[in-house]
Amino acid sequence: MKKIACDERPGWRSYAESVGFEFHTFDGEAYWDETAYYQFNLRQIEQDLEEPTEELHQMALGLVDDVIRDEEKLRQLAIPEKFWDFVADSWRNKAPSLYGRLDLVYDGTGPAKLLELNYDTPTSLFETGFFQWVWLEDQIMRGKVPQGADQFNSLQDQLEAAFANLPLANPLYFASVANSIEDKGTVMYLMDIARQAGVDSRFIELEQLGEASGQLVDLEGYAIEGLFKLYPWEFMVQEDFASVILSSQTQWLEPGWKMLLSNKGILPLLWQKHQGHPNLLESHFEQAGQSFTAGWVRKPLFSREGANVELVTLSGEKISEPGPYADSPFIRQKLQPLPKFGDSYTMIGSWIVGNNAAGIGIREDNSLITKDSSRFLPHIILD
Amino acid sequence: MKQKVLKRSKKAALVLMVPTATFLMAGCGQEEAVQTAAFETVDQCAAYYNPEQCKADLGQALAMHTQVAPKYADKAACETDFGVGQCETPAQAAAAAGTEQVPQQAQASSGGFFMPMMMGFLAGQMMGRSGSQLKQPVQAQPLYKSRDDRSTFRTATNTPVAKGVGPTYIKPSSVQPKPAGMVNRGGFGAQAAKRSSSASSFGG
Repeated sequence: MKKIACDERPGWRSYAESVGFEFHTFDGEAYWDETAYYQFNLRQIEQDLEEPTEELHQMALGLVDDVIRDEEKLRQLAIPEKFWDFVADSWRNKAPSLYGRLDLVYDGTGPAKLLELNYDTPTSLFETGFFQWVWLEDQIMRGKVPQGADQFNSLQDQLEAAFANLPLANPLYFASVANSIEDKGTVMYLMDIARQAGVDSRFIELEQLGEASGQLVDLEGYAIEGLFKLYPWEFMVQEDFASVILSSQTQWLEPGWKMLLSNKGILPLLWQKHQGHPNLLESHFEQAGQSFTAGWVRKPLFSREGANVELVTLSGEKISEPGPYADSPFIRQKLQPLPKFGDSYTMIGSWIVGNNAAGIGIREDNSLITKDSSRFLPHIILD
Repeated sequence: MKQKVLKRSKKAALVLMVPTATFLMAGCGQEEAVQTAAFETVDQCAAYYNPEQCKADLGQALAMHTQVAPKYADKAACETDFGVGQCETPAQAAAAAGTEQVPQQAQASSGGFFMPMMMGFLAGQMMGRSGSQLKQPVQAQPLYKSRDDRSTFRTATNTPVAKGVGPTYIKPSSVQPKPAGMVNRGGFGAQAAKRSSSASSFGG
């Protein structure tokens, strides 16, 4: 695994905008960054990333059965009691799931370590599945990347197959919040793939979802039979329409049981069940009054994009990221610092579609905490 | 000889996100857009069309307003979507339109609901302005403006039809009016609004 400087493609920004990738730059800072790429060999990809991704995924699925039967665990994960049956039923009824992303620490050697599961509303999907794929094709054609280069990225193929093969409602609605162009971009990409798989995909702003006689309805008042929502379950269960989740006949993507796996509380539960597993970091639920010591990370059960995460390095330096998620319980996770390439700390997001590993996206930040604004860099495989 | 198995997708294509592709798809044996127009007053309309027809179109839009407008149980929810001071009751709508009578349907269901004020009307296309008979005519109907986009006229079912007053092209099927029952909206999204000062995405 190494980082290699590379010429940018001339005019890539206008190309990005022409394909709906309007968030390539955030507040004047690069989000998509093709001034360099990462190079892996095939063994690193297959043995160190692909296999552990699928194994960790199975370990996570294996916990769902444990949690839905165990009141104490449901309380540890802060699942509202009103939704326990909903979550359990969605699992017992095998409600289909589309995708998830595992965030890993990996530097090219040794076992990748799981930082967390983004199993409810994972993003950076378009960047991974489409834009870095096109980048590779372009750069091979321009001779900037070796001819035989490949990429660990079957994301779009696998998503298209999932949309074609999963038992999904048709039409399928897709919702994201009104004022996030990033979330809208992600949803538009998924709708595009669904359309290619023959699914009648329709967009609705999350705030425009309606309720009539207990059923979720679209703008015209028709019942919504299937809804992909790029909006966290832990928000939905405490909003005005929480009761509609229980009364509506809607098929949800991601399904209700993902409430358990997108929760950082799953990390201590994984550690309890598989203590010492090479791809896991030691994790515990935070105890009241517990002192915060060097070499540990503190994360809320519910947060995203690094918000409200704080850590103390081995040398005692305290690093924290502010955020709006301080209102949930916390876990402690042993610090495994991200590897540094040049001036940047690098994290790997590894995708799951169905039960298959489906590729990676790389994020870089100037800090040890990866966040929303962290740069996305493409990668290649070359032996 | 071992065939190399690629670790990447065989293709990565977009059909909807690319404007040209979308255009080609839309042109492919599908419904054609027709010309109509959005107006706020009969006078604006009369600059383009027969004034008598303009009056008739406005009258039809006013008559439909109470039936097709999105309905809300409380004023605040309506104003969240359409803006403060932009919502009214059926009785207020009738008074503003200069008619004495509140439509019967509104009276019958009048637990006192709120709906956005009518901001304009879509000129009808009953016979086709060019004289040709259309298979699916555009009906004259009321238009609204959402709180966050005051320049765009939208139908009661939130289909944007025109940026400002004047001619516009639309597909007739996209503007078929429907009676609106009592639907609650805005039940999801409150947490995002509450936490949005520091987060631009609710994915992760």
